[in-house]
Amino acid sequence: MNWTARLILLMALIGSTASLRAQEITFTASVDRKSIAVGEHVRLTITLSNAGDRFSTPDLGGLVVVGGPSYGSNMVSTNGRMSVSVSRTWLLTGTAPGKFTIGASKASVGGGTLQTEPITIEVVKAGSRPSDASAAQGQRSDPNLFVTISLSKNKAYVGEQVLATYTLYNRYAALELSKFELPKLNGFWSEEIEIGESGWSEQVVNGIGYRVAVLKKQLLFPQRSGKLRVEPMELTCIVNRSFFNRGSSIDLKSSPVDFTSLALPPNAPADFSGAVGELDLQVQTDRTSVKANEAIEIVVRMSGRTNLKLLDAPKLDFPGDFEAYDPKVVDKISVNASGMSGSREFQYTVIPRHDGHFDLGTISFSYFDTRTNTYKSLASDPIVIDVAPGEGGPSTNLRYPSKSDVVTLGEEVRYIRTGDLDLRTKGHFLFASLPWFAGMGAPALAFLLLLAWQRKRERERGDVEGTRRKRADGVARKRLREAELGLDQGDRNVFYAALSKALHGYLSDKFNLGVAEVNTNELRQRFATYADGNELADDCARLLTACDMARFAPVEDKPRRELYEEAAQLIQRIERSARK
Amino acid sequence: MKQLLPFLFVLTTMSASAVTKLEADSMAARAQRAYAMGDARTALAAYDSIAVDHNSAALQLNIGNCWFKLGDVAHAILHYERGLRLAPGDEDLQANLDLANEQVKDRIAEKPSFALGTTWARIRGGHDPDQWARRSLWVCALFFALLTAAILLRGRGPRRIAFTSSGLALIFLALCIAFAVARHNEVVDDGQAIIMEPKVDVLGEPRTGSKVLFVLHKGTKLTVLQEANGWYEVQLPNGNVGWMPPAALERI
Repeated sequence: MNWTARLILLMALIGSTASLRAQEITFTASVDRKSIAVGEHVRLTITLSNAGDRFSTPDLGGLVVVGGPSYGSNMVSTNGRMSVSVSRTWLLTGTAPGKFTIGASKASVGGGTLQTEPITIEVVKAGSRPSDASAAQGQRSDPNLFVTISLSKNKAYVGEQVLATYTLYNRYAALELSKFELPKLNGFWSEEIEIGESGWSEQVVNGIGYRVAVLKKQLLFPQRSGKLRVEPMELTCIVNRSFFNRGSSIDLKSSPVDFTSLALPPNAPADFSGAVGELDLQVQTDRTSVKANEAIEIVVRMSGRTNLKLLDAPKLDFPGDFEAYDPKVVDKISVNASGMSGSREFQYTVIPRHDGHFDLGTISFSYFDTRTNTYKSLASDPIVIDVAPGEGGPSTNLRYPSKSDVVTLGEEVRYIRTGDLDLRTKGHFLFASLPWFAGMGAPALAFLLLLAWQRKRERERGDVEGTRRKRADGVARKRLREAELGLDQGDRNVFYAALSKALHGYLSDKFNLGVAEVNTNELRQRFATYADGNELADDCARLLTACDMARFAPVEDKPRRELYEEAAQLIQRIERSARK
Repeated sequence: MKQLLPFLFVLTTMSASAVTKLEADSMAARAQRAYAMGDARTALAAYDSIAVDHNSAALQLNIGNCWFKLGDVAHAILHYERGLRLAPGDEDLQANLDLANEQVKDRIAEKPSFALGTTWARIRGGHDPDQWARRSLWVCALFFALLTAAILLRGRGPRRIAFTSSGLALIFLALCIAFAVARHNEVVDDGQAIIMEPKVDVLGEPRTGSKVLFVLHKGTKLTVLQEANGWYEVQLPNGNVGWMPPAALERI
């Protein structure tokens, strides 16, 4: 223990008597021990402060007075105010084992009556070890001086705040603390509470009066679930030191405190980050319509009772057109005996770089509410910001963040084929199957059938010559019509050429001759089978000669019309005689 | 009537499988819903029951995805490979297979990269193993149609054109049949297999206790060369050959 702590404690001791408030009326009964063996003594003291000196002797319930009463009085003046207390002390003993109750003492104060608490003394057989009634408070080596650790709860959720108080109980007159060690806290996150200068106060524990000082207060936040233990606190005191006495050193050790830390329920929301307590969320945006490149401040305030110092900034996703900076954290946190409370503000400064209508969505936050023992989600109203084009117009686009490569964050198999799976019967393939062979054979078969049909038709149709002869007459008439056209137009060349061509063509087709083979001798031979063959042959030759003469020399021994009629009649005569 | 026969046959076979195909379609819809909900196990069961009688590249993709989601990479690879045999060059199947192969422990050798890659694969196969067989039917019909035209047409010009193009059609027909044969062999081939056990010792001889040549792990693809004494002789892509028990393999 360093000297500053010593000094503080010394000051506390000096102030202790002063802190007995001057006009406060107290009336207490106390014993120095609550368990004695037969024949041992117990000291009973009844003290009345600031209310005269009359009070009744209590019923001693079977205990025997071996000494007293001795009278004492105490008078203190502080800043001119007097404080008077009167006390009577008895020395009692038990004559038989058993429980004995010292009844209430009564005092008339003003118009009313004050009573002390009854005290029970246990008397055990001589020689047997007295069972200490206050064993639950730990192994107190010295009933006159001990230290305790008390927790506000013995069970709490992980992250829930628990108040730990370290208290010193003392019955010695002079006390000096020489060594002071806070216990090790495994599994807790702790936060000191400033308690200022605390004085001594009077407190009766199990009927024994003590002067009590709170050494320290701490807020504990369990960090893991399961059984946790606050290790014993150790300190060393020197008592009864005075000018004449070196005093004696006493080592104190509190009992450890067991604590159960409950795990949070498993159905935590996705955005739960470990906050436990009572919380409120407020989101403020200083303005919702700005020009591009003007800053907006978004304040996210979380207030309530929780471990505010461990709260992280809620995750905000700003659009790519927004430039966002890390939030500034402003704490208004008070830590006192009622826990940690206050608010933590996250002040975001964002600058929209481009005009447009931006929906930033809601800001949400989840915590575990210790009032209802359930998870609660808080969400702000959606933040909508209208950004008007900034100064300088579209040139603001130039301030866009530079392009970056798309980063592959994860890989996933491509999704299943939905819709028609194009299923086919397993093991069934078109190739080399019966339908395939049939499909290949069918056109071949069709082709062969066609070929056969074609052959048959050819046979039916007979020879090509027969066909030509049948068509001869029609072709000659057609060609004569062309000559008639030349005749009507009065075109001499066209007429003679068409007439000559018609006759030549007719005869060559008729007798299956080449055009050059059409001459008198050949015609006589061909017409030999005809009835008046020679005459027809001569007429043909004469007409052809006349045409040729007219074509190549300016000689016309007959009018063209007459020649045309002759040719037509000749063809008719040939056809008629052929038909015989 | 003779020409109609094959078509009638096709029609009857189609209607025979149409009854079960109706059930298969509803099962596929159920599986798709389950997969969308993240229940790969239910989806897999439904797809598996479809796969008893039916098959398609899409079905194999979906089954492979279910296995992948269930964390069984070897089965996923097996089904992706089966799908790729039906539809070589399918982008989804190839992408998923590549992803699954990344989780395979063995890296034996890089697969030989073909210059035209997926384009050639798609020409070769496309999404339909019957593609070339069907084309060969069309080209066969075209060939005989042109031949008929060459006989029936009058005039030397048109006849010559028809005859020449029928010759070209005949060449194309031969190509189609060759492709169809190749594709059919590829689809029916079961020479390749995937290792299904976490770790397999590949031995030097087909008997227990012979020398261990190398150790292979789940998901590795192998070629099965022959079977003897209830053992498979397998070959790795890098040419190494060894013997292993058939239980550790599943043929693609």
